[in-house]
Amino acid sequence: MKTFLLTAKFRAEMDCPKEVVMWNYYDHEHLVGTHYKYYNATRVLAERDDWSLVVRGKRMPLLPFYTSGIGFQYMDGNTMKSFHQDTIGFMLEMEAFFEDLPDDRCAVTVTYRIHAHPIFKLFDPFFQKLFKKWFWATWEEDAPMRLRRWKVHQLGFKDFSGIEYVNKKQPRPEHIEAGKYEFIPPVKKSSPIRTTEGIERPFDSSVELGYADR
Amino acid sequence: MITESSVITVEQDGRQATYKFLATLDELKKTGQLTRWIDDHDVLLYEYEGEIKALSNICRHFGGPVGYHKHKDGVFTCLWHNWTFSCKDGSCTSHPAYPLRQYALKVVDDKIYVDLLG
Repeated sequence: MKTFLLTAKFRAEMDCPKEVVMWNYYDHEHLVGTHYKYYNATRVLAERDDWSLVVRGKRMPLLPFYTSGIGFQYMDGNTMKSFHQDTIGFMLEMEAFFEDLPDDRCAVTVTYRIHAHPIFKLFDPFFQKLFKKWFWATWEEDAPMRLRRWKVHQLGFKDFSGIEYVNKKQPRPEHIEAGKYEFIPPVKKSSPIRTTEGIERPFDSSVELGYADR
Repeated sequence: MITESSVITVEQDGRQATYKFLATLDELKKTGQLTRWIDDHDVLLYEYEGEIKALSNICRHFGGPVGYHKHKDGVFTCLWHNWTFSCKDGSCTSHPAYPLRQYALKVVDDKIYVDLLG
Protein backbone atom coordinates (compact mmCIF):
# COMPACT_ATOMS: atom_id res chain seq x y z
CA MET A 1 0.00 0.00 0.00
CA LYS A 2 1.25 3.46 -0.80
CA THR A 3 1.97 5.36 2.39
CA PHE A 4 2.76 8.90 3.35
CA LEU A 5 5.95 9.45 5.32
CA LEU A 6 5.63 11.81 8.24
CA THR A 7 9.10 12.88 9.25
CA ALA A 8 10.71 15.36 11.58
CA LYS A 9 14.39 16.00 12.33
CA PHE A 10 16.08 17.86 15.16
CA ARG A 11 19.69 18.50 16.10
CA ALA A 12 21.03 19.73 19.42
CA GLU A 13 24.39 19.97 21.12
CA MET A 14 25.45 19.01 24.64
CA ASP A 15 28.38 19.99 26.83
CA CYS A 16 29.30 16.39 27.54
CA PRO A 17 30.74 13.41 25.63
CA LYS A 18 28.34 11.45 23.43
CA GLU A 19 28.73 8.37 25.65
CA VAL A 20 26.91 10.19 28.45
CA VAL A 21 23.97 10.82 26.11
CA MET A 22 23.98 7.18 24.99
CA TRP A 23 23.88 6.11 28.64
CA ASN A 24 20.88 8.36 29.09
CA TYR A 25 19.05 6.75 26.15
CA TYR A 26 19.68 3.25 27.54
CA ASP A 27 18.76 4.11 31.13
CA HIS A 28 15.15 2.89 31.00
CA GLU A 29 14.55 3.43 34.71
CA HIS A 30 14.86 7.21 34.46
CA LEU A 31 11.71 7.45 32.35
CA VAL A 32 9.44 7.28 35.40
CA GLY A 33 11.86 9.50 37.36
CA THR A 34 13.31 12.31 35.28
CA HIS A 35 10.34 12.21 32.87
CA TYR A 36 7.69 11.42 35.46
CA LYS A 37 5.32 13.99 33.96
CA TYR A 38 5.25 12.14 30.64
CA TYR A 39 5.89 8.48 31.51
CA ASN A 40 3.76 6.62 34.03
CA ALA A 41 5.14 3.08 33.70
CA THR A 42 7.88 1.11 32.04
CA ARG A 43 9.19 -2.42 31.86
CA VAL A 44 12.14 -4.08 30.19
CA LEU A 45 10.94 -7.24 28.46
CA ALA A 46 14.41 -8.27 27.31
CA GLU A 47 17.81 -6.76 26.76
CA ARG A 48 21.30 -7.83 25.84
CA ASP A 49 24.31 -5.63 25.52
CA ASP A 50 23.26 -2.82 23.19
CA TRP A 51 19.66 -3.78 22.40
CA SER A 52 16.51 -3.74 24.45
CA LEU A 53 12.82 -4.47 24.14
CA VAL A 54 10.67 -2.34 26.41
CA VAL A 55 7.08 -1.46 27.25
CA ARG A 56 6.31 2.14 28.08
CA GLY A 57 3.23 4.07 29.13
CA LYS A 58 3.38 7.72 28.18
CA ARG A 59 1.43 10.83 27.39
CA MET A 60 2.86 13.03 24.68
CA PRO A 61 2.44 16.80 24.67
CA LEU A 62 -0.77 18.02 22.95
CA LEU A 63 -2.44 14.63 23.52
CA PRO A 64 -4.91 14.33 26.40
CA PHE A 65 -4.46 10.59 26.98
CA TYR A 66 -1.83 7.99 27.85
CA THR A 67 -0.78 5.30 25.41
CA SER A 68 1.13 2.12 26.03
CA GLY A 69 3.53 0.73 23.49
CA ILE A 70 6.35 -1.63 22.80
CA GLY A 71 9.72 -0.36 21.69
CA PHE A 72 12.87 -2.01 20.40
CA GLN A 73 16.13 -0.13 20.31
CA TYR A 74 19.69 -1.03 19.32
CA MET A 75 22.99 0.58 18.48
CA ASP A 76 24.30 0.60 14.94
CA GLY A 77 27.72 2.22 15.21
CA ASN A 78 27.13 5.73 16.48
CA THR A 79 23.43 5.60 15.67
CA MET A 80 20.71 4.36 17.96
CA LYS A 81 17.74 3.01 16.04
CA SER A 82 14.40 2.39 17.66
CA PHE A 83 10.98 1.17 16.62
CA HIS A 84 8.00 1.95 18.75
CA GLN A 85 4.49 0.70 18.19
CA ASP A 86 1.78 1.99 20.48
CA THR A 87 -1.91 1.49 21.03
CA ILE A 88 -2.81 4.18 18.51
CA GLY A 89 -1.48 1.81 15.87
CA PHE A 90 1.33 3.80 14.32
CA MET A 91 4.88 2.56 14.25
CA LEU A 92 7.36 5.30 15.06
CA GLU A 93 10.89 4.85 13.78
CA MET A 94 13.53 6.95 15.45
CA GLU A 95 17.20 7.36 14.71
CA ALA A 96 19.54 9.21 17.02
CA PHE A 97 22.96 9.92 15.55
CA PHE A 98 25.68 10.79 18.06
CA GLU A 99 28.76 12.71 17.04
CA ASP A 100 31.76 14.00 18.96
CA LEU A 101 32.53 17.69 19.02
CA PRO A 102 35.74 19.26 20.34
CA ASP A 103 36.24 19.91 24.07
CA ASP A 104 34.20 16.95 25.37
CA ARG A 105 31.06 18.12 23.64
CA CYS A 106 28.72 16.26 21.33
CA ALA A 107 25.80 16.67 18.97
CA VAL A 108 22.72 14.51 18.62
CA THR A 109 20.57 14.42 15.50
CA VAL A 110 17.21 12.76 15.97
CA THR A 111 14.98 11.78 13.08
CA TYR A 112 11.41 10.61 13.64
CA ARG A 113 9.53 8.75 10.90
CA ILE A 114 6.00 7.41 10.71
CA HIS A 115 4.66 5.60 7.66
CA ALA A 116 0.94 6.37 7.55
CA HIS A 117 -2.03 6.17 5.23
CA PRO A 118 -1.95 9.05 2.70
CA ILE A 119 -4.93 10.63 4.42
CA PHE A 120 -2.61 11.53 7.29
CA LYS A 121 -0.85 14.03 5.05
CA LEU A 122 -3.56 16.38 6.31
CA PHE A 123 -2.18 15.98 9.80
CA ASP A 124 1.43 16.70 8.90
CA PRO A 125 1.45 20.17 10.54
CA PHE A 126 0.09 18.63 13.73
CA PHE A 127 2.76 15.88 13.71
CA GLN A 128 5.46 18.48 13.16
CA LYS A 129 4.23 20.43 16.14
CA LEU A 130 3.82 17.30 18.25
CA PHE A 131 7.33 15.98 17.62
CA LYS A 132 8.91 19.39 18.03
CA LYS A 133 7.29 19.70 21.43
CA TRP A 134 8.18 16.12 22.36
CA PHE A 135 11.80 16.41 21.33
CA TRP A 136 12.42 19.67 23.16
CA ALA A 137 10.40 18.72 26.27
CA THR A 138 12.39 15.53 26.81
CA TRP A 139 15.65 17.19 25.74
CA GLU A 140 15.22 19.92 28.34
CA GLU A 141 14.56 17.34 31.05
CA ASP A 142 17.49 15.16 29.99
CA ALA A 143 20.02 17.94 29.46
CA PRO A 144 20.65 18.75 33.15
CA MET A 145 20.76 15.02 33.90
CA ARG A 146 23.50 14.47 31.34
CA LEU A 147 25.45 17.52 32.42
CA ARG A 148 25.26 16.51 36.07
CA ARG A 149 26.22 12.93 35.24
CA TRP A 150 29.29 14.28 33.42
CA LYS A 151 30.06 16.67 36.28
CA VAL A 152 29.98 14.01 39.00
CA HIS A 153 31.99 11.65 36.79
CA GLN A 154 34.73 14.28 36.65
CA LEU A 155 34.62 14.44 40.46
CA GLY A 156 35.31 10.71 40.65
CA PHE A 157 31.74 9.43 41.07
CA LYS A 158 31.34 5.65 40.94
CA ASP A 159 27.97 4.00 40.33
CA PHE A 160 26.41 2.41 43.41
CA SER A 161 29.03 4.07 45.59
CA GLY A 162 29.28 7.82 45.13
CA ILE A 163 32.19 10.23 45.49
CA GLU A 164 34.79 8.85 47.87
CA TYR A 165 35.98 12.13 49.38
CA VAL A 166 32.38 13.15 50.05
CA ASN A 167 31.33 9.84 51.61
CA LYS A 168 34.48 9.46 53.70
CA LYS A 169 34.57 13.10 54.83
CA GLN A 170 38.02 13.53 53.40
CA PRO A 171 39.60 16.58 51.76
CA ARG A 172 38.99 16.72 48.05
CA PRO A 173 42.06 15.29 46.28
CA GLU A 174 44.07 17.90 44.40
CA HIS A 175 43.96 15.73 41.31
CA ILE A 176 41.11 13.39 40.42
CA GLU A 177 41.72 10.68 37.82
CA ALA A 178 38.19 10.37 36.47
CA GLY A 179 39.19 8.78 33.18
CA LYS A 180 37.18 8.64 29.98
CA TYR A 181 33.43 8.23 30.38
CA GLU A 182 32.60 4.75 29.17
CA PHE A 183 29.18 3.60 28.05
CA ILE A 184 28.86 -0.14 28.59
CA PRO A 185 25.27 -1.31 28.03
CA PRO A 186 23.05 -2.54 29.44
CA VAL A 187 22.79 0.01 32.22
CA LYS A 188 22.83 -1.70 35.61
CA LYS A 189 19.35 -1.89 37.15
CA SER A 190 18.24 -1.12 40.71
CA SER A 191 14.51 -1.76 40.44
CA PRO A 192 12.04 -4.50 39.41
CA ILE A 193 11.95 -3.06 35.86
CA ARG A 194 12.91 -6.44 34.39
CA THR A 195 10.14 -8.30 36.22
CA THR A 196 6.54 -8.72 35.15
CA GLU A 197 5.67 -5.90 37.55
CA GLY A 198 7.78 -3.32 35.78
CA ILE A 199 8.01 0.05 37.50
CA GLU A 200 5.65 2.97 37.90
CA ARG A 201 6.24 6.58 38.74
CA PRO A 202 5.76 7.29 42.45
CA PHE A 203 3.76 10.47 41.84
CA ASP A 204 2.59 12.59 38.93
CA SER A 205 3.15 16.00 40.46
CA SER A 206 5.48 17.49 43.02
CA VAL A 207 6.93 20.74 44.30
CA GLU A 208 10.03 21.01 42.17
CA LEU A 209 12.94 22.95 43.60
CA GLY A 210 15.12 22.08 40.65
CA TYR A 211 18.81 21.60 40.00
CA ALA A 212 21.43 23.99 41.36
CA ASP A 213 24.24 22.66 39.22
CA ARG A 214 25.25 25.77 37.31
CA MET B 1 36.22 30.80 67.36
CA ILE B 2 37.47 32.84 64.42
CA THR B 3 34.75 34.36 62.26
CA GLU B 4 35.22 35.84 58.82
CA SER B 5 32.49 36.75 56.40
CA SER B 6 32.44 33.34 54.75
CA VAL B 7 34.32 31.05 57.14
CA ILE B 8 34.19 30.05 60.81
CA THR B 9 37.07 28.14 62.36
CA VAL B 10 36.67 26.22 65.64
CA GLU B 11 38.65 23.69 67.67
CA GLN B 12 36.56 20.56 67.56
CA ASP B 13 37.25 16.89 68.27
CA GLY B 14 41.00 17.56 68.30
CA ARG B 15 41.04 19.25 64.94
CA GLN B 16 40.66 22.71 63.50
CA ALA B 17 37.20 22.57 61.90
CA THR B 18 36.40 25.02 59.16
CA TYR B 19 32.75 25.87 58.54
CA LYS B 20 32.01 27.54 55.23
CA PHE B 21 29.10 29.86 54.54
CA LEU B 22 26.29 27.98 52.82
CA ALA B 23 23.12 30.09 52.99
CA THR B 24 21.22 32.55 55.11
CA LEU B 25 18.30 31.52 57.27
CA ASP B 26 16.06 33.70 55.12
CA GLU B 27 17.09 31.80 52.01
CA LEU B 28 16.28 28.51 53.68
CA LYS B 29 12.97 29.75 55.03
CA LYS B 30 11.66 30.57 51.54
CA THR B 31 11.09 26.92 50.64
CA GLY B 32 12.42 25.05 53.67
CA GLN B 33 14.91 23.28 51.42
CA LEU B 34 17.68 24.25 49.03
CA THR B 35 20.73 22.78 47.35
CA ARG B 36 24.05 24.46 46.76
CA TRP B 37 27.43 23.46 45.37
CA ILE B 38 30.33 24.48 47.58
CA ASP B 39 33.93 23.38 46.89
CA ASP B 40 32.81 20.40 44.79
CA HIS B 41 30.29 19.22 47.39
CA ASP B 42 26.59 19.36 46.46
CA VAL B 43 24.86 20.07 49.75
CA LEU B 44 21.15 19.59 50.44
CA LEU B 45 20.10 21.95 53.23
CA TYR B 46 16.64 21.64 54.76
CA GLU B 47 14.51 22.07 57.80
CA TYR B 48 12.83 19.00 59.26
CA GLU B 49 10.87 18.76 62.50
CA GLY B 50 12.27 22.11 63.64
CA GLU B 51 15.91 21.21 62.96
CA ILE B 52 18.20 22.46 60.22
CA LYS B 53 20.04 19.58 58.59
CA ALA B 54 22.34 18.96 55.66
CA LEU B 55 22.98 15.89 53.54
CA SER B 56 24.92 15.15 50.40
CA ASN B 57 22.65 15.93 47.45
CA ILE B 58 24.40 13.34 45.33
CA CYS B 59 22.48 10.07 45.11
CA ARG B 60 24.90 7.18 45.44
CA HIS B 61 23.13 5.27 42.68
CA PHE B 62 24.02 7.31 39.58
CA GLY B 63 24.64 10.78 41.04
CA GLY B 64 21.14 12.23 40.74
CA PRO B 65 19.84 15.25 42.64
CA VAL B 66 18.22 13.98 45.83
CA GLY B 67 16.72 17.38 46.69
CA TYR B 68 15.18 18.19 43.31
CA HIS B 69 11.70 17.53 44.68
CA LYS B 70 10.59 19.13 47.92
CA HIS B 71 10.60 16.41 50.55
CA LYS B 72 7.24 14.86 51.36
CA ASP B 73 6.14 12.76 54.34
CA GLY B 74 9.68 12.78 55.71
CA VAL B 75 11.21 11.41 52.52
CA PHE B 76 13.35 12.75 49.70
CA THR B 77 12.81 11.11 46.32
CA CYS B 78 15.72 11.38 43.91
CA LEU B 79 14.56 12.80 40.60
CA TRP B 80 16.37 10.38 38.32
CA HIS B 81 15.39 6.91 39.56
CA ASN B 82 13.17 7.49 42.57
CA TRP B 83 15.55 6.22 45.24
CA THR B 84 14.19 7.42 48.58
CA PHE B 85 15.97 8.82 51.63
CA SER B 86 14.86 9.67 55.14
CA CYS B 87 14.84 13.35 56.06
CA LYS B 88 15.69 12.27 59.58
CA ASP B 89 19.20 11.05 58.91
CA GLY B 90 19.74 10.49 55.16
CA SER B 91 19.33 6.74 55.40
CA CYS B 92 18.27 5.20 52.09
CA THR B 93 14.82 3.72 52.53
CA SER B 94 14.70 2.11 49.09
CA HIS B 95 18.27 0.74 49.03
CA PRO B 96 19.51 0.64 52.65
CA ALA B 97 23.16 -0.02 51.78
CA TYR B 98 23.50 3.46 50.33
CA PRO B 99 22.86 6.17 52.96
CA LEU B 100 23.66 9.79 52.23
CA ARG B 101 26.52 11.43 54.06
CA GLN B 102 25.42 14.03 56.64
CA TYR B 103 27.14 17.40 57.13
CA ALA B 104 27.73 19.26 60.40
CA LEU B 105 26.28 22.76 60.49
CA LYS B 106 26.58 25.92 62.58
CA VAL B 107 24.17 28.83 62.58
CA VAL B 108 25.71 32.17 63.52
CA ASP B 109 23.97 35.53 63.07
CA ASP B 110 21.30 34.16 60.75
CA LYS B 111 23.93 32.54 58.55
CA ILE B 112 24.30 28.80 58.05
CA TYR B 113 27.80 27.35 57.78
CA VAL B 114 28.77 23.82 56.77
CA ASP B 115 31.77 21.71 57.72
CA LEU B 116 32.71 19.82 54.56
CA LEU B 117 34.89 17.45 56.55
CA GLY B 118 32.54 17.00 59.47
